[in-house]
Amino acid sequence: MSAATDDIAETRGAASETVKANAEGAAVKRTLGIGFWIALIWLGIVFFAAAFAPWLPFKDPDANYIQRGERPPYPPSMAHPFGTDQDARDILARTAFGGRVSLTVGLVAIAMGMFFGGLMGILAGYFRGWWDRIFSFIFIILLSFPSLVLAILITSLLERSLRTISLTLGILTIAPVGRVARATTISFTEREFVLAARTLGAKNGRIIIRELLPNVVIPMSALALLGMGVAVVAEAGLAFLGLSVEKGPTWGKVILTGAGSRDLQKYPWIAIIPIVVLFFTVLALNFAGDRIRSYFDAKETAL
Amino acid sequence: MKQYWLQRLGAAIGLLLAVSALTFGAMNLLGDPLFNILGPTAASTTPEDLEIIAAAEAEYNLDDPLPVRYVKWASAFVTGDFGVQFSSDGQPPVSDLIKERLPRTLMLLIMAQTMAIMVAVPWALLAASKADKAVDKISTITAFLFIAVPNVGLAVILKYLFALKFSIFPLIYNASDPFWSRVWQMMLPAISLALPAAAIYQRLLRTDLITTLQEDYILTARSKGVSKRNVLFKHALRPSLFSFITIVGITTGALLGGSLIVEQVFIIPGLGSAIVEAILREDFPVVLAIVMIVTAAFVMINIIVDLIYSLIDPRVRTE
Repeated sequence: MSAATDDIAETRGAASETVKANAEGAAVKRTLGIGFWIALIWLGIVFFAAAFAPWLPFKDPDANYIQRGERPPYPPSMAHPFGTDQDARDILARTAFGGRVSLTVGLVAIAMGMFFGGLMGILAGYFRGWWDRIFSFIFIILLSFPSLVLAILITSLLERSLRTISLTLGILTIAPVGRVARATTISFTEREFVLAARTLGAKNGRIIIRELLPNVVIPMSALALLGMGVAVVAEAGLAFLGLSVEKGPTWGKVILTGAGSRDLQKYPWIAIIPIVVLFFTVLALNFAGDRIRSYFDAKETAL
Repeated sequence: MKQYWLQRLGAAIGLLLAVSALTFGAMNLLGDPLFNILGPTAASTTPEDLEIIAAAEAEYNLDDPLPVRYVKWASAFVTGDFGVQFSSDGQPPVSDLIKERLPRTLMLLIMAQTMAIMVAVPWALLAASKADKAVDKISTITAFLFIAVPNVGLAVILKYLFALKFSIFPLIYNASDPFWSRVWQMMLPAISLALPAAAIYQRLLRTDLITTLQEDYILTARSKGVSKRNVLFKHALRPSLFSFITIVGITTGALLGGSLIVEQVFIIPGLGSAIVEAILREDFPVVLAIVMIVTAAFVMINIIVDLIYSLIDPRVRTE
């Protein structure tokens, strides 16, 4: 009966799969599509810029590039392609360095979700019984919290370091990933190849690692890309509540710098350029995740 | 069936107790309430200061052991007495502050949710009736774009475009304005919450509608001469609403979080700004009250969704 809440994770996943199945019908496309590669290139650029920001020819994100005779902020120009903020700090550099924090938060969060959620979900789905009861209960507890409130709670009590924020958002991703892992595991545990492995005398550990894991990882990694987008956006949200990482720029904090009414009217580029970067990144993550899912889905149905 | 609902209710209450105990404990152990009330005086040991400390401890119920304080706080909380603020000399009481702020957040939430549903249902009906045609494909792409828009970013951009650049909507929320002008002032914040939600609903409902439209009884209805339009509205819509209702319920929780942030962008003095101010001043009773209210609302919504579910789907009821 707990159908209503239990099915959510499945419903969400299944929904877009059915969309694809219906949209593509009999003619199953096996390619990832050009959009996927565009998304990947964008992600590549953003990740590269963020990962190597200190070694790339960016300006100093914390320096004030005051131009003589003119009051900052300065609009986009050759020297500052994204313009500068009110303190004459280079927004391109701040966006790149902010990406370091924002993307780290996203990566750590989703790695945590994948590891703990995946582990708990697979164990729950494979062994059922008490494992299932305990882990499903943990998932329900985690999902009963409005996620932002949990984030507010933890970040308001602890120091606002990169580690705290990443771990907080990581905890939030455990339950959704775990649910999908559990559901997928259950659907695969009944399949013939698992039965075959068992008849051949394979132990539980081997079945889980060699037979189930490769199948469960695909829907999980599609979800991971979506989840990473959610975590990156969540950081921006926390910044607006004054709860993001304290030191250095983050995407949320860069946007916040220009989001006040007066600044937004007079110097719109301060907020809008980082918003566009954030939007394209989330879009690319969503799109890549969606393509991966339907790509492997198509293979599944073609069998 | 009755037993099931009692179990759900019991679980909900248990969850709220656990959340409140954890939050209460964490706030008191990790923070120093006395310091937040008195400032540096709290660490002083001069006789006059010790007297002040003792008085403050008595006033703010800080002289009991932690479990006793929790029980006192919790039993006052359920009667609507949320305690006194630590800052600003405890005035107004937390419950008055909440009474002032909560309706604004609630209004924003209701407006956003109504808009999202009102946009999503016709949108899904249109897309499903023209499945795989150009209209549908464009709408799928649009929905995909909307889903990826972060609430924060959308709020800032809408504010820039429609309040600052073209002054279509008012920029300032004024709490003392009459009801309908406040509704008008909340349009932009509500839209920034509603659009991504509408896109999520649309995708789900469209899929379910298409699945329903492939059922045999739809074919029967069509072959008996029921018009396409009537089939869509009278036969297909209702059975397709189940997961839609679920997702609306779940999204309400996410919108609640989103509204705290959107409030910050549009400077609406709701729960969002209240919790931000309270965190800055480390005013635990206020943070605690807001966390509890939001969590309780979230838990209640989940139960209500299940209840609605069992009301509209007889299969769920008998299971």
